[in-house]
Amino acid sequence: MATTMENVIAALVIIAIIVSAGSLYYAMTVASQLGATVESVADLSGSVVELTGAMGDLAASMGDVAEKVGTSVETIEAIEGRLKAVEEGLAGLQPTLTIVGPWAGKEMDAFVPVIDRFERLTGMRVNFKILRAEDLAPVLPAQFEAGLAPGDVIFMWAWFINEKAGDGHVMDLTGVIDETTLSPGALDPVKVDGKIYGGAYTGKVKPGFWYRKSFFEDNNLTPPSTWAEFVTLLDTIADIPGVVDPIATGDGVGWPISDVTEHFLITFGDPQLQRDLIAGTVDWTSPQVRAIFEDRIVPLLEAGYFSEPIEWTTAIELWWGGDYGLYFMGSWITGMVEDPEDLGVFSIPGSEGLVFAADYFFVPEYTLYPEEAKQLAQFLASAEAQRLQVAQGGHIATALAVSLDAYPAVDRGVAEVLVGKEVLSDLDDTIGGEFQATFWDQLKLLWVNPEALDDVLEALQEKAA
Amino acid sequence: MREREIPRRKISLSIFFIPALILIIFFVIFPVLQNIFISFFSPSGEFVGLNNYFDVLSRREVVNVERLSRGFPLGALIHNVIWILIHLPLSLFSGLVLAIILRDVKGASIVKSTIFLGMVTPMIVGGLILRFTFEKGVGVVNALFNLLGFEQLARTWTAYPDTALFALVFGSVWLWTGFSMILYSAGLATIPKDYYEAAKIDGATPLRTFFRITLPLLKPITLTVITMTILWELKIFDIVYVATLGGPGGASNVLALLMYHIAFRQFDLNSAAVVATFLTLLTLLVTIGMTKYMVKK
Repeated sequence: MATTMENVIAALVIIAIIVSAGSLYYAMTVASQLGATVESVADLSGSVVELTGAMGDLAASMGDVAEKVGTSVETIEAIEGRLKAVEEGLAGLQPTLTIVGPWAGKEMDAFVPVIDRFERLTGMRVNFKILRAEDLAPVLPAQFEAGLAPGDVIFMWAWFINEKAGDGHVMDLTGVIDETTLSPGALDPVKVDGKIYGGAYTGKVKPGFWYRKSFFEDNNLTPPSTWAEFVTLLDTIADIPGVVDPIATGDGVGWPISDVTEHFLITFGDPQLQRDLIAGTVDWTSPQVRAIFEDRIVPLLEAGYFSEPIEWTTAIELWWGGDYGLYFMGSWITGMVEDPEDLGVFSIPGSEGLVFAADYFFVPEYTLYPEEAKQLAQFLASAEAQRLQVAQGGHIATALAVSLDAYPAVDRGVAEVLVGKEVLSDLDDTIGGEFQATFWDQLKLLWVNPEALDDVLEALQEKAA
Repeated sequence: MREREIPRRKISLSIFFIPALILIIFFVIFPVLQNIFISFFSPSGEFVGLNNYFDVLSRREVVNVERLSRGFPLGALIHNVIWILIHLPLSLFSGLVLAIILRDVKGASIVKSTIFLGMVTPMIVGGLILRFTFEKGVGVVNALFNLLGFEQLARTWTAYPDTALFALVFGSVWLWTGFSMILYSAGLATIPKDYYEAAKIDGATPLRTFFRITLPLLKPITLTVITMTILWELKIFDIVYVATLGGPGGASNVLALLMYHIAFRQFDLNSAAVVATFLTLLTLLVTIGMTKYMVKK
C-alpha cells in the first residue's frame, strides 16, 4: 500500500516537473517574444519622438513662413492702399468731363462701355447727362450768350452745330478729328468755311419696314419685291386675326413719321429729290413731290394701313406683341427688342437710297477743359470707341476701320440692306430750325387727315422758302 | 417825441423793403422792359417800330381767319380763348360742387388731398399723363368709352386736329379743379353756421340757401379763382408742349408755345418778344380788370 502511494506521489512529482518545465519553456518563449515587441515598441517610440521632433521643426518653419507671408500680405495691402491713394490723387488732378447726349435706358447702357474705355485710357472721369436735342435747343443759346455750356462734349443736330459755329460758340476741331478715317462726306454737315466744327459718332440707318421673322413665318408672309406685292402684303396682314393695323406709326415729336415720308420720297422721287428738297431747289408743292404723296402715301393712309400715331416706344411693344405687322424705324430698334435675331427688315421695293443719320457732337467754346474735351471728341470719332458702340447693337459706325465683324448679326443684316444704295442725309435734321418742327407737325396732321394734303404741302413750302 | 418816431419807423420799414425791391427790379421789371424794348427792333438791331407787331400778329399761327369756318387749326390766340371758355367754367363749377359736397363729409380731407394731387403734380408730368390718358390703345378715357359702348369715340384724341385741343382742355380741368376746390373749401369754412341755421328756421330750401347765402359770400373767392385761372390759361405751355407740341398741324397750339417756337426754333427773339409782350398785356388787362372789380365790391 505504501509503495503504491509512493509510486503515485513519484508520478505526480514527475508530472509536476514536466508541467513546470513545459510552463517554464512556454513562459520563456513568451517572454522572449514580449522582449522583441517591447524592443519594437521602443524603436517605434523612438521614431515617433523623432517624427514629433521633425514636425515640431516643420511647425516652427511653417510659423516662420506664415509670419513672412503675413508680412507680405500686409505689405501688398499697404502697396494697394498707396496705389489707390495715388489713383485717387491722380483722379483728383484729372478733370471730370461731361458728355451731353440724348440716350437713356438701354441706349445709354450701350454707350457706357465707350465711356468706361475712355476713362481707363486717360484716367479722366466722364459724366453722362441726358438731354435730347429738342430740349437742348432752347437751353444752349442762352448758355452760350452767358459764356457757359452744360457739357464738354455735346451731341446735337448738325444744323445747330453749323449755326452756332458761325456765331463763334463752337470749338474748331480741324486737326483733332481726322476726316479721312471717317465715311466720305460724314463731316460735311458740320463744316463751316472748310473747318471742322463737329465730329461724327456712330449713326443709324433708316432702312425701311421692320418685321418679326417669326410673325412672317407663322403667317406665311414674305418681304415684297414690287410695290404691288407690298400693297398685297399690307392687305394680307390686315386680314390676320388679332392684327389692329398692318403698319404701326410711331410718334415722338413727329420724327418717326418724317422718316417714313423721307423713305417714300427717296424711293419714288429718287435720291436726288431728297438732296434737292434739302437744298430748297425743289418746292414741296411741286408736281413731283405732290405725286408721291398723292399716289403712294395718301392711298395707304386712306386705306387704313397705317395706325394712328402711337408713342414710339409703346408702338414697339405693341408691334412686337403682334398688334401690328410692320414698323418703320431706324436701326436703333435692334437694341430695343427682346430678340434681335427675330428681326427682319425690307425697304420699299425700288428704293435706291437710304437715310443715314450720324450722331453729331461738338465741343463748346466755353468748356473748362478744352484740351481734354478735344481728346474725348477725338476718341468718340475713333474706330476704337465706335467698335465698342456698334457691338452693343443698333449703331452703324462712321469710322472706316470698324469692320463688319464688330457688328451683331442683325446689324450686319442692316448693312446688307445698304449695299448698292446711296446714303443720304436726314432731310429734317439737315434743314432744321422752324422747318423741322413744322415738318414733324404737318405730317402728324396728314397721317390722321389725308384730305389735308394741299394744306400740309403749302405749310411745308411756306417754312422751307 | 412821437413825431420823430414815425419817420424813423418809415425809414426802417423802407430798409426792409429794399432787398425785395432790388430783386423785383432786376428779375421782373428789367426783363419785362428789355423784352418790350427788343420787340421794336429787327434781329439785325434796326429799329422797326410796330412792324414786328404787324408781322407776328397777322400770322395765321396767331389767328387763322381762313380756317375759322373749316375747323382746326384756328390760331394760337383763338385756341387760348377756347381754352378759357371751356376750362374756366368747368373747373370753377366742379371745384365749387366738390367743395360743397365734401364740406361735412367724414374723411373729406383724404378725398380733397387726392383731388388736389392733380394741382401739385408738375404740369410737365401732367401733360405726359394726359398724352397717355387719351391714347387709343392704353388710355383710360378710351377704355371707358369702350366699356360704355361709345366705341366711335375711342381713338387717340391728341392725334386728331378736331379733338387734340379739347383733350388737353378737359384733361387740364382734372389738373386744375383741385385749386378751385381748395379755395372754395377755405371760403366755405369762413361762412358762419348761424346764417344757415337762421335760413333753416325761416324755411328756406337748400337751393335758396345756396343762391342767397353761400354763393354771394363766396364771391371774393370766385373772383380770385377766376383771375388765377384765366392767368394760368393764358400762359399755358407745359401741358401742350409735352402732350402734343401744339399739333397736329398746329391744332392745339397756344400763344406761349408759339412764343417758344419763334424764340428757340427760328431763333427770332425779337418776334418772340412781340408774342411775350402781347401775352403780358393780356394778363395785365385781366389782372387789373379783376382787381378793380374786387376792390369796388
